[in-house]
Amino acid sequence: MKRILKWAVVAVVLVAACGFAGFLYFVPPLMSTDPQQFIDGEAAMAPPVDGIADPATRAIAERGRYVLLTTECTGCHVTPGPQGPLPDMYLAGGRKFTTNNHGVVVSRNLTPDHETGLGGRTDDEVKRVLRSGVYPDGRPIPHTAMPWAQFSNWSDEDLHAVVVYLRHVRPVRHEIPPPAPGVADAIVPGALEIAAGVDAGKK
Amino acid sequence: MPHVPSGLRWTAFCAAGLLLVGVAAGVAQSGAKAPPADVTQLYDRSCASCHGTDGLGHGPAADALNPKPRDFTRGWYKFRSTASGSLPTDDDLYRTIEAGLPGTSMLGWKGILSDAQMRALVAYVKQFSPRFAAEHPDPVPATRQVVASPESIQKGRAAYDSLACGACHGDGGTGADAVAGGMKDDWGNDVYAPNLTEPWSFRGGRTAADVYLRLKTGINGTPMPSFADTAKDEDLWHVANYVVSLARKPVWEMTADELKAHYASQAKRHADNPVERGRSLVATMACGHCHTPVDREGRGLPGLAFAGGMKMRLVVWGDVVSANLTSDNETGLGRYGDDDIKRAFTRGIKHDGSRMLPFPMGWPAYAHLTPQDQGAIVAYLRTIPPVKNQIPPPARLGFFAYMGAKFRMLVGGEDFPIVLFVGNAGSAGNPGSGAAAGR
Repeated sequence: MKRILKWAVVAVVLVAACGFAGFLYFVPPLMSTDPQQFIDGEAAMAPPVDGIADPATRAIAERGRYVLLTTECTGCHVTPGPQGPLPDMYLAGGRKFTTNNHGVVVSRNLTPDHETGLGGRTDDEVKRVLRSGVYPDGRPIPHTAMPWAQFSNWSDEDLHAVVVYLRHVRPVRHEIPPPAPGVADAIVPGALEIAAGVDAGKK
Repeated sequence: MPHVPSGLRWTAFCAAGLLLVGVAAGVAQSGAKAPPADVTQLYDRSCASCHGTDGLGHGPAADALNPKPRDFTRGWYKFRSTASGSLPTDDDLYRTIEAGLPGTSMLGWKGILSDAQMRALVAYVKQFSPRFAAEHPDPVPATRQVVASPESIQKGRAAYDSLACGACHGDGGTGADAVAGGMKDDWGNDVYAPNLTEPWSFRGGRTAADVYLRLKTGINGTPMPSFADTAKDEDLWHVANYVVSLARKPVWEMTADELKAHYASQAKRHADNPVERGRSLVATMACGHCHTPVDREGRGLPGLAFAGGMKMRLVVWGDVVSANLTSDNETGLGRYGDDDIKRAFTRGIKHDGSRMLPFPMGWPAYAHLTPQDQGAIVAYLRTIPPVKNQIPPPARLGFFAYMGAKFRMLVGGEDFPIVLFVGNAGSAGNPGSGAAAGR
């Protein structure tokens, strides 16, 4: 009886250890998940434009959605969580970048929230950021973190469509800290470092 | 008049003279050389990421821009009210800074910078070129504007044809039947004749007076000549009126039906010219952001555009190096079929069947490109001249190091950063930095 109990305990410990090792090894299951799941997840995050009443605005927003989706704005602007991007924080920002020459910057909240997102910004102000990398107060945005120089190649009409779509994304209250000077926490000199799983914003 | 002792009068005279000389010297100094420190700071902060601190037009962000930023050192300017080849006036430069150049990264600084700051930048930009000290701008004489009328537009159409504007701008300004490509500016960059039906992107402005000035003064440094000597002044006004009349509706003014037709015809144009469409997609999707290795300032390493080689440390998944996207047969995409390339950027599966992580390569997003756009990207990538840059395979962590790092991440909650290294980790040398090559 005692012997059976001993073996049972050993077996339970062994199974638990294997389970824990498996957890460490396979979570998050980035390489074993069907690619289609990632692809579907990407599209599911971007809200459809069906809810827009005006048909002309809807047609432009559809175009904007296509441009925004295929440019992978989500890679930096969906709030990061420990298991990957948080789908209900679509484009709410919060990913931290430690740059070589421009200090620490955090990806902005692109949702239409008035206080913490783009709700208070004019179309021209948003377009200027996307095309020229300049904030309304004249501050420059590092091109190594935010590829505005590449996005400047969008035609005026596609740029407009992107902004129209951004206006129809669900507003999320998520405060993003202003850029901070210094690269004290850079590990590799000269490199661009992107925080992997921690949200630098405030909900 | 009270009596002033003559000694005192002379002293005052000499003092006033000295003061004048001093002021004159001060003005001359601030005008010609050593600009005040705060203007340098303003320029470095606002202008240098594109135009460079040295004014050569090759700032760290310049590579991705089309058109390329101005090189101030040659004193050669596109948008002027002065004769072809002449320097611009201060007001010309001020206008460019204030209003920007529509359709480009050059924004209008009005409302961000003060009038005095923009004037100071005009002076600062001028000091990059010795031409401004040696020459004077030669403004074109003002002529009487011909007001637009059906008659003037018709004459403009005739002059547009006789001056062969359509050779570059196409029939009716649409680009149809025009020189399709291969045009270069004086710096060797690709340039495109603008579509004249889209006046919101006219760099120098969209009014008839703006277009007239482009015709009269030319756009120096580009294939756009001045017609001041080859056409009658009146005809230039007619052409300007004709060009303004070509404007189509922009999408923001279209009805839903017009938008549908517009996007359908655009898709057809893209299908007819997949390489151009692919070029635009590759540029705007920022492929070069990772597939062109950079130096410490974030400037693309010379000769390695799209040649891959940027090393990235992906949290606990090891070091990967961005692929060589040029058409090279041994180290680039030249050895792969169209479907292999599409599968890689839309499903994250490489030619040998191995998988990519869903980041930083955004294949889950690129999968949503239409089949036509996917084909256009491949068509364009095939046209990138081959660059030999052998990319090392991914270096994964060993089993125990991996498990240890995973433990720290999943149990300890540690946030390992994704690190994008400077320099080229491929075989083509590493001119940018001392970062370790991947082999």
